[in-house]
This record gives sequence, C-alpha cells and structure tokens, in this order.
Amino acid sequence: MASFAGAFAASHGPLLIREWEAVPRGEQSRLKNAFEELGRRLKAASPDVLIVVSPDHWSNFSLDNYPAVCLGVGAVNEGPPEPWMKGFAHREVAGHPGLGLHLVEQAMRAGFEPSVSHRLKLDHGACIPLWRMGLDTLPKVVPMLLNSIEPPMPSLRRCFDWGRLLASAIQNYKEDIKVAVLGTGGLSHSIGEPTMGAIYEDFDHETIRRFSSSEDSLISYLEEELPRRGNGSEEVRNWLVAHGAAGGRGFELVDYLPVPSVIVGCGFACWSAS
Amino acid sequence: MIGSMRDYWLSKLFYDLQSPAAVAEYRAERDKVLDRYRIEAPVRKALAENDVPFLAQRVNAYLLRYYFFATGMKDEEFKRRLRHG
Repeated sequence: MASFAGAFAASHGPLLIREWEAVPRGEQSRLKNAFEELGRRLKAASPDVLIVVSPDHWSNFSLDNYPAVCLGVGAVNEGPPEPWMKGFAHREVAGHPGLGLHLVEQAMRAGFEPSVSHRLKLDHGACIPLWRMGLDTLPKVVPMLLNSIEPPMPSLRRCFDWGRLLASAIQNYKEDIKVAVLGTGGLSHSIGEPTMGAIYEDFDHETIRRFSSSEDSLISYLEEELPRRGNGSEEVRNWLVAHGAAGGRGFELVDYLPVPSVIVGCGFACWSAS
Repeated sequence: MIGSMRDYWLSKLFYDLQSPAAVAEYRAERDKVLDRYRIEAPVRKALAENDVPFLAQRVNAYLLRYYFFATGMKDEEFKRRLRHG
C-alpha cells in the first residue's frame, strides 16, 4: 500500500526568478537557505510521487473554463510556459496516471468533483519551488490545480477537506509507493490591484501561528482576514490542502521573511508524516 | 470572495498575449490584432491610453498585471496608474 511521506509548502512569486539579482544579499541568502532546507527535507522523505497543489496562473485555463480544482492524470506534464522560466531544467515532468486516476475516483466517491486533465502545463507556481529546492531528480508529479486566482474560489474549509481526502486516498492506493504533498504560493501579496506590492506581516505571522492551533481557528481567521489582505494571499488555500493532508497537525515553520523586492511574504513550512 | 463580471473579449486578448509571438505581433500591429477581438470602443480607447483603472474593472488582476508587463510598462508606473489613474 502507498504511504504518506509528509507535506511541504513554499512561496512561488515570479520575481524570485525574474528579479533574483535585485533581491538584497541578506534576503537572497535566507530565501536560498529556506528553499534548500525544504529540498533537503523532501529528499529525506524520498517520495516516489509529489502531489503539487498550486493555482493555474492562466497557463491552462481561461474564462472559457476555469475549474475550481483540476487533477492531472497524465503520464507527462509540460514544463512552465513562461519565457522567463526557461532556465528550469525540466521541459517535461513525469506524472503518475495510476495515482492521479485513483485520486479522482476516490474524490468522486467522497462527493468531491474535480476536473480532470491528461496533460497540464506546470507553470511557475509549481515549478519555482521545485527549481529552487535544488532537487537533482524530480519525483513524479501529480498536479492539483486549485483556483485561488479568479473568484469565486473553493471555500477554505473545502481546501482543508481536500487535504484530508488526499491523505485517505494515498493510504488506500494499492501500489507500494511514498507520496508527499507540496502546497505552493502565499503568504501575503497583492498583484495587479491598487495595493500591489503590499505585504501584510501581521497577517502572515498570525496565519503561521494558527497553523499550530485548531483548523477551525485557522479557517475562521482566514475567512475574516483574506478579503483585505491582497489577492495573492488567497493562495494560502494550497497550504490548507497540505495541512489537511497532514491531518491538521505537525506544522513546522522552516522560515518566513517579507521580501519587498519580490513583493511577497515568503513562507516555507513542512508537516511530518507521523 | 464572490465572482466578478468580466469583459470576456478583453480577458481573452490578455490571455492570448501570454504567447511571446502574439505579444510581439501586438506590439508591432496593435490594431490588426485588436480587430480579431470583439473589443468595444471605450475599451479599445482605454487600451490605447493605457487607462489602467478602467481596464482593472473588467479583467482579472493577474491578467491585467501580465498585460502591462508584456507590453513594456514598468511596475512602478503600473502601480502609480492603478492607484491614481
């Protein structure tokens, strides 16, 4: 049977790549260390498959159809389409159709109805953490694209429940593999709106604190605060999926630092498998 | 967060311009590209004038930011226009 190998979370702002050289040296060093520490922990967990939970930044979906959740079940995922991501070494990333389809089936049985794709592009949301974590080889990736970009978005409670569902589905998958979950994005940032560039450190610190309290406390805080904390902060949904996959416990902050030059409150975290 | 009314054709234009080839053509022959979309006259005028607040009411904020990045507006200028028109 498959086993849960842990959960991880990391920020993914485009300026972490596009404007990397403009990041002040001290912040650059901390960001590098945080990504690499997460990479070391991921390597230690040695997952065969990584479920990467990320928004789709208009790479696969448009207003023609923007699903709340889409699971990638293809044997191959395409690398990032953004021209400025061409330095990412992987033009294709292997998927795991068996696990992907199993997740879809288990979701349908449980009353969740994801969209399904047999070929997804993994944009910067998924690939910046994979790149910056310094992984020599990538585990197979099952993408879970969760809408935190275009309202209306899945409820915060639903995102947490998605995490629980992933954990349950992993544990009853018959192949003997280890599966980890990586939530990407957040913490606070604001893109293309009048508050663009704002980082809400108080919100980020309180959110981090509540990942170590009950999920009700965390979710109620986020429901209250998210509408005024920048649209990018909505990506904390992906952290909630990771949190749910870990059973709502075991959160450990690896690092947090607000980085004005990349306009993101950058957070890095993991949850143990036990 | 509830959904917002969107200008479909403006959104489609911004979405399509994520392709480097498409944005190169747009920069070279803007009117020719715009003629392929059912962009209403006031919206077309706003595009010509880089009227950021007007456009911001009609498209997703990420697409808006991408459009002005791709067409060469510096972030500081984009933010200034977002806030002050």
